[in-house]
Amino acid sequence: MIDRGDLLAALDRAAARKVTIISAPAGSGKTTLIRAWAGRPGQPHQLALVPVQRGQQDAQLFWLALLDAVRQASGAASGAGPAAATPDFNARAMVDRVLSELAGARGDLTLVIDDLHELTSLAALAQLTRLLTNLPPGLHAILSTRHDLRLRLQQLRLAGELAEIRGPDLRFSERETRELLNASGIALSEAGTARLHQRTEGWAAGLRLAAISLANHPDPERFVAEFSGSDRTVAEYLLAEMLDRQRGDVQRLLLRTCLLDRVNGELADLLTGRPGSERILLDLEDANAFVVSLDPERTWFRYHHLFADLLRLELRRRMPREVPELHRRAASWFIQRGQVVDAIRHTQAAGDWPGAARLLADHSFSLTLDGQTQTIQALVRAFPPGADHPELALVRAMGDLGHGHLNEAAAHLAAAQTYAETAAQDHQRRLRVAIASLKLSLARRRGHLAGVVEQVKFLDSPLTAQSDEDIALGSDLRAVALLNLGTVEAWSLALPDAERHLEEGAVLAREIGRPYLEVGCLAQLGFASKVRPFATVRRRCLEAIALADGHGWGAEPVIAPALIALAGALVWTGEFDEAERWLQRTEQALQTDTGPDIRLLMHLGNGILHAGRGHHQQALEEFSAAEYLRSQLEGSHALASEVTGWLLATQARLGMTGEARAFLAVLDDERAGSGEIRNAWAVICLAEGDPAGALRAAQDVLDEMVPVIGYVTVVEAQLLAALAHRELGDHRAASQAAERALALAEPDRLVLPFAMTGSRELLLGLPRHQTGHAALLTDILDTVRGSSVAARDRSPAPPAQELSPGELRVLRYLPTNLSRVEIASELCLSRNTVSTHIRSIYAKLGVCDRSSAVRRARGLRLLAAGRTP
Amino acid sequence: MDPGPALYTIRIDGHLGATMLLAFPALAAQRHGAHTLLTGLLDRSALYGVLAEIEALGLNLLEVRRHNA
Repeated sequence: MIDRGDLLAALDRAAARKVTIISAPAGSGKTTLIRAWAGRPGQPHQLALVPVQRGQQDAQLFWLALLDAVRQASGAASGAGPAAATPDFNARAMVDRVLSELAGARGDLTLVIDDLHELTSLAALAQLTRLLTNLPPGLHAILSTRHDLRLRLQQLRLAGELAEIRGPDLRFSERETRELLNASGIALSEAGTARLHQRTEGWAAGLRLAAISLANHPDPERFVAEFSGSDRTVAEYLLAEMLDRQRGDVQRLLLRTCLLDRVNGELADLLTGRPGSERILLDLEDANAFVVSLDPERTWFRYHHLFADLLRLELRRRMPREVPELHRRAASWFIQRGQVVDAIRHTQAAGDWPGAARLLADHSFSLTLDGQTQTIQALVRAFPPGADHPELALVRAMGDLGHGHLNEAAAHLAAAQTYAETAAQDHQRRLRVAIASLKLSLARRRGHLAGVVEQVKFLDSPLTAQSDEDIALGSDLRAVALLNLGTVEAWSLALPDAERHLEEGAVLAREIGRPYLEVGCLAQLGFASKVRPFATVRRRCLEAIALADGHGWGAEPVIAPALIALAGALVWTGEFDEAERWLQRTEQALQTDTGPDIRLLMHLGNGILHAGRGHHQQALEEFSAAEYLRSQLEGSHALASEVTGWLLATQARLGMTGEARAFLAVLDDERAGSGEIRNAWAVICLAEGDPAGALRAAQDVLDEMVPVIGYVTVVEAQLLAALAHRELGDHRAASQAAERALALAEPDRLVLPFAMTGSRELLLGLPRHQTGHAALLTDILDTVRGSSVAARDRSPAPPAQELSPGELRVLRYLPTNLSRVEIASELCLSRNTVSTHIRSIYAKLGVCDRSSAVRRARGLRLLAAGRTP
Repeated sequence: MDPGPALYTIRIDGHLGATMLLAFPALAAQRHGAHTLLTGLLDRSALYGVLAEIEALGLNLLEVRRHNA
């Protein structure tokens, strides 16, 4: 096009400020200006170009496009593909991500957002304001829009960091008009040029349309005269002229494809019913006729928005009856390519509302997994109000769940259920799975876990699918259903079933290429591993977290169950500092509201961490919060007795025995009769100076008279019994009970029960040389003395050679103060063998004394729980 | 809080031809000198829809007048 030097200079000056807004009406030439500015040879700025899609209501899609553009521009060759959309979208976290990418950009970067008025999501605009006001130094933004936006940029304005270029600035001057005509090879008199300029008022779109018509026109002067003399609006007149001057096939193409947001040769051929469309599109772009290619290979194109809008009106005027058919053809083409959203939009535009409803309902799960939640809701809103489409009840239920409108969700689910009963056979199966899946989701959000698993028993048997499409849709559905089912089962403590379903879900998710679901299943599996050895819990959680991190989902709510389960496991084995880091990470991942169950786990995790460190007041706050959440959940809850038990015990330890007893008195029978509550009773008795009562309560647990959640309760009971014996003066019984506790704790190397029950004195009183658990004992005493287990060596290099099993067995005794002879006796080895092992250990660890060996081994996690030889 | 539909007259610069008028099906058009008057009963959503259409088609909006019942 022509060189509008003054305008480019103006944009240069503006772009020196932090934010430039180009606000001008349709067809003013904003995009052309930006492209000319960006395409200048020797242009120094790195640009991240973000064109906003027409009618973009989906904030997530906008932000992902922006993130991708920034990554490409800043050359972040992370190797990973474009960031994937996820079902839970956290706008705040997304903007943080963008800001950190921008901060890491090498050199200056300019973010260019075109057609920002098309972004109709208010939330996105608010977050954009935050982004713009927090741009790192050296970074700029240029925004183009048709009308002024609700961006609160006063801060920038006051600081002089906001520049504007407005409509009048973009108008062609008469001189520029002459240059445009000259550049297009159009011979027009000065008077004619002046008239053209005056009639169009320097409007870029008008001038360009005129130029197309004037090029090769036999009588340019007459054209301008007639144009000036007409009262028609500029756009309508010039478009009609331009269209009429095109060859028949070009006209046909323009009219019949203008209703697409984007077009390629094949689709255009389908709509025109003629071959050769690609050539026409390429020619149009070359002639600068409002057609723009979208990819470097020039296979996809779109029309200038104004141009397309005018053409659409012209199409409706000339061939109104053809329009629905064109939309239908486009819809079926898109469906074949799996571009469901486009297909639905065109089906709606064709007026086929039942067809659109069916498509939307069928694909709602898959689209949600693709992260298109907001797009789905926009499509639902497009249905005419009052029309009855029972299939949509399912989609509406999903939207309600997403927004936390649980009662509405239940109502819509009930309607969907009614509809499902009347649906066709093959359809019915899919619908039932979908409804079951949502029911499980709803039950979890509400905490109404009782009975829901029974309702969905049929999920156990896999689908027998028919068509390819059926398989694809069915697999997505099944994977989601397995995730939801496994989660609910885990929370109801049906753990074997939970593990089975979650493992199946993870495998299926991997097969069908749904990493988000795979992460979800593995994360819940980590949580469901409660009764497994802690080593298994850690392994599973770390697997899930690594997978999530690989996809950039390390801070998303989906991975929270694994983060929390891992943190919990670390607290149990006394690794408090590391546990705290994981708890903080979970806190960050739970920015969006994910329901009371996870929040309960957070409070519980924080609670046991504080309790383990002896911070009883803070522990009490956390346990109280957990108890409150538990009381909000209907039906019995897996962790109920644990939560309540620890709350009561902490109250007792803080001397609030009165409150504790009062709470005990009003407990329901189920909880009151549990082992965890018995232990709490024992703690209260000890606090009240009644060791005999404490002993009786603990004994109930030890005699297996009451149910327990897990063996950790038994460990606790042993310790409480030991403390009671000690109070009663029976030191031998106390030592025996403590020894039994150590034995139980040994396999998982539990530390927490010892810390929580304040058993330090008790353990110190144990005759050292008579314990079979010297290593564990040392670990525990280290922890309760304040140094966290397995404090990380800052830069541990792995050992030159792996330690043999025999060496590892000896290594465990190094932290104790047993002599080599004593170690030999413990392990039933000769003294010489032990010495040989120790020499080898020193050599492999690169140390020369016992305490260095212990430090190195801890840093390498050879002495931590989880690496049992 | 929508007070209900009211009678609006919207004045646009230039004459709108048959094609352009298709964008305003709820309104009746009348030439008035060099301008076009579009008149019709519009509630608030419909009014802003019309204004958005005017913006999208690059038309020159001269006046929006509401007639009291």
